[in-house]
Amino acid sequence: MNRMEFMAELERLLFDMPTEERQAAVQYYADYFADAGEENEQEVIRELGSPEKVAGSIKADYYGTEYNEEKFNRKNYMEKYGQRSSGERAGGQGDSGTYGGTGAETGGDGRERRPWTSNGLKIVLIILIAIVVWPLSLGVISVVFGLAVAAVSIFASLVVASAAVMAAGVITVTVGLGLMMALPPAALVTVGVGLLIFVLGLMATVGTVKLCIIVYPAMLRGFVDLCRRPFYGKAV
Amino acid sequence: MVFNTGAALLDAIVLAVVSREEEGTYGYRITQDVRKIIDVSESTLYPVLRRLQKDECLEVYDRQFDGRNRRYYKVTSRGIVQLGLYKSEWKKYIRKINAIFEGGVTA
Repeated sequence: MNRMEFMAELERLLFDMPTEERQAAVQYYADYFADAGEENEQEVIRELGSPEKVAGSIKADYYGTEYNEEKFNRKNYMEKYGQRSSGERAGGQGDSGTYGGTGAETGGDGRERRPWTSNGLKIVLIILIAIVVWPLSLGVISVVFGLAVAAVSIFASLVVASAAVMAAGVITVTVGLGLMMALPPAALVTVGVGLLIFVLGLMATVGTVKLCIIVYPAMLRGFVDLCRRPFYGKAV
Repeated sequence: MVFNTGAALLDAIVLAVVSREEEGTYGYRITQDVRKIIDVSESTLYPVLRRLQKDECLEVYDRQFDGRNRRYYKVTSRGIVQLGLYKSEWKKYIRKINAIFEGGVTA
């Protein structure tokens, strides 16, 4: 693996982090390689271990501090690092939990040390859970589906109702025109009322269609976000 | 070294290393300087620098070097205060440790 491949892989592994965080980390390691010089490239890669390990250390710290700020304190932090170094002891020789250890002894097996919340494992877990609670989840899915259909229908029905008001206006005008010969005054009133109803219906239709244009994409986005959440963490 | 370097001590060492440079210093050099003192892996320091930056103990700026932008870290006034706190805590700590090791009497 050369430096280019390393950086590309690192950037790929950080895809689910906020853009700013990802760019800062990528810039740091790009600088790092450049400052180490080409002749030390392989040495740096060996010391860093693997892109997985580097990405893991970035994420462990970021998610450890960013999302538990109120709970976060030094003690938790120390415990976290304590666990990490005990993992290292199991993996390599490890000098009784020195901060981070050296890259050499842990190189190449970054896969093992990836946090247990890796995406692949999550997907498997979700599928397993789905199978176990299938009878229940069937019900839940039906309810969610029902609610979604209801929400969509509410807005669609508003459009239909508005269109119906418009149609009623047209019919009233037609009836009024039919009366024109027999009862001119009544006919004029009817036609006038019919026109008013038609215009109200038209306005309502335009309004509700616009509402749908705003609401439906938002609903879709909300639903997609909800589905993505378990896979991409909170940082979607 | 047989003793652990905890997160707070690592923060303190990084702050001390960066604060030695008036103009600020960059990631690779910070790593080399810290590694002269304690044994840390190369991937350990980025999260520490990033966190110190978020806590406003360090600030970053980019400067042209060798036809590219290199990111420099510089200690802030808040970082200096924090480093002072770490130093005074460290003095208290080693005094107690020395007392038990050498004097054998606890304060």
